[in-house]
Amino acid sequence: MNVAPLATVALGGVAALDAEPVAQTLLSQPLVTATVLGYLWGDWATAFEVGIVLQVLAASTLPVGSRTPEDYATGGVVGVGLALALASSQPFTIAKQGCAMMGVLVGMVVATAGIPLLKWKRRHNEGLARWCEEAVRAGDLRAPGRAQGAAVVLSFALGVTYTALCLGLGLMLLDGLVAKESLRLARAWTLARPLWLGLGLAQVLNAFLQRRLTRGVAFGTALLGAWMFFMIGGH
Amino acid sequence: MSRIQPSDLRRVAWRTLLLQAAFNYERQQGIGWAYAIDPALRRLYPDEATRRERLAEHTAYFNTQPTLASFALGAVTALEEQRAAGDPVDAATIARVKSALGAALAAIGDRLFWFTLRPFAACLGVLFAVLGSPFGAIALLLSYNAVHLVLRFAGVGIGHAEGPAVLGGGLRDRLEALVRRLGLLGSVLIGVLVAALLAPGGEPASLTFQATLIGGLLFGILAALRSRPSPTQWALGLGALCLLVGFRH
Repeated sequence: MNVAPLATVALGGVAALDAEPVAQTLLSQPLVTATVLGYLWGDWATAFEVGIVLQVLAASTLPVGSRTPEDYATGGVVGVGLALALASSQPFTIAKQGCAMMGVLVGMVVATAGIPLLKWKRRHNEGLARWCEEAVRAGDLRAPGRAQGAAVVLSFALGVTYTALCLGLGLMLLDGLVAKESLRLARAWTLARPLWLGLGLAQVLNAFLQRRLTRGVAFGTALLGAWMFFMIGGH
Repeated sequence: MSRIQPSDLRRVAWRTLLLQAAFNYERQQGIGWAYAIDPALRRLYPDEATRRERLAEHTAYFNTQPTLASFALGAVTALEEQRAAGDPVDAATIARVKSALGAALAAIGDRLFWFTLRPFAACLGVLFAVLGSPFGAIALLLSYNAVHLVLRFAGVGIGHAEGPAVLGGGLRDRLEALVRRLGLLGSVLIGVLVAALLAPGGEPASLTFQATLIGGLLFGILAALRSRPSPTQWALGLGALCLLVGFRH
């Protein structure tokens, strides 16, 4: 029995835990989950192709203030997992590029559609918080621990369910399309990959620069110096 | 009178890992805060009725950047210690300190973790991956958690030792300096990453790739001037456009 699909779904739950409720160690970042999935599915190339793009886009998403951020934890697992599942039945590189295109697109859709789910979970936790205070006042000193446990279980269950649903739906809808239209999808990937990388890196650069000239100069100097180094080093 | 032991602070520090477990819009990190501070309250208030009252107070609203919350937890633990010893510290004083520290730590923590360290770690990992190394994920995790976990675990002890004045005594300056250095290093890192994408393996990338990457960068700089649409919404739009181009030709 192939354990990769089951492990992918379980990884969705683990990523959902790391993203907010437990520790926030960045285990849930797309590059990390892509590395694990690449190992599980035995296809590092496709996993990194999709993981790198989703990671750059995830890095440009800032969970600050009242804004609920996109759910790139689940988006990363579903995007990479779906690309790997689709690519596993495609023998040619060009078809795998089509799978990568669909993986990144679905990853972003799942990350965006995860916002209402995240909001629902937070609203559900409001009831848990009210119950916790009442229980403590009534003498149950273990109530905070129990509330925390319930919230962690809910997050894991939501992560697993959401990942399984999106992966299943994605495979059902896109398997035929990738098989039939691999050439067109690969053409779209050739254009979309650098555009997405550029867009994401510009957003991150903007966060670093903070309109400071010295940092802009440092960026330009590093770009020029590293480009010369790579070009000369490559020959 | 009981005093806080190092083992209590260690327990509080471990429990900060679950600070956001029951995060919600009404009390935000309130339940996580109560759960984290409970080992200290257990030590300070052997009388169950008093402990129950204190624990219920701590379930109230609290919010800050989750890693730096450790400093506030340590500082409030020190205040609870004074309160248990009979000093004139009441619930309103503790609520004021929580609110003030929460706001101050969020201001610097958001910039340190969300605006600089997390994107920096992500770009470092991506650079490794673009250069063909399988250790990108490890680089990402190590560079982030070297700061994140150290501050998370040491923060409780430092906060307890310094009390409500924890952000004085140079800590704020050191964190600000770290933000500045990471901002500069991050700018350099993006420069190297763009160069690595333009010349993979020492050979220039295809003209189409170079042109679209630079186009994406320019578009991204313009898009960054507006908070909406979000980068993901822009990326989805660009993806749809590329699909359209791919299917039209």
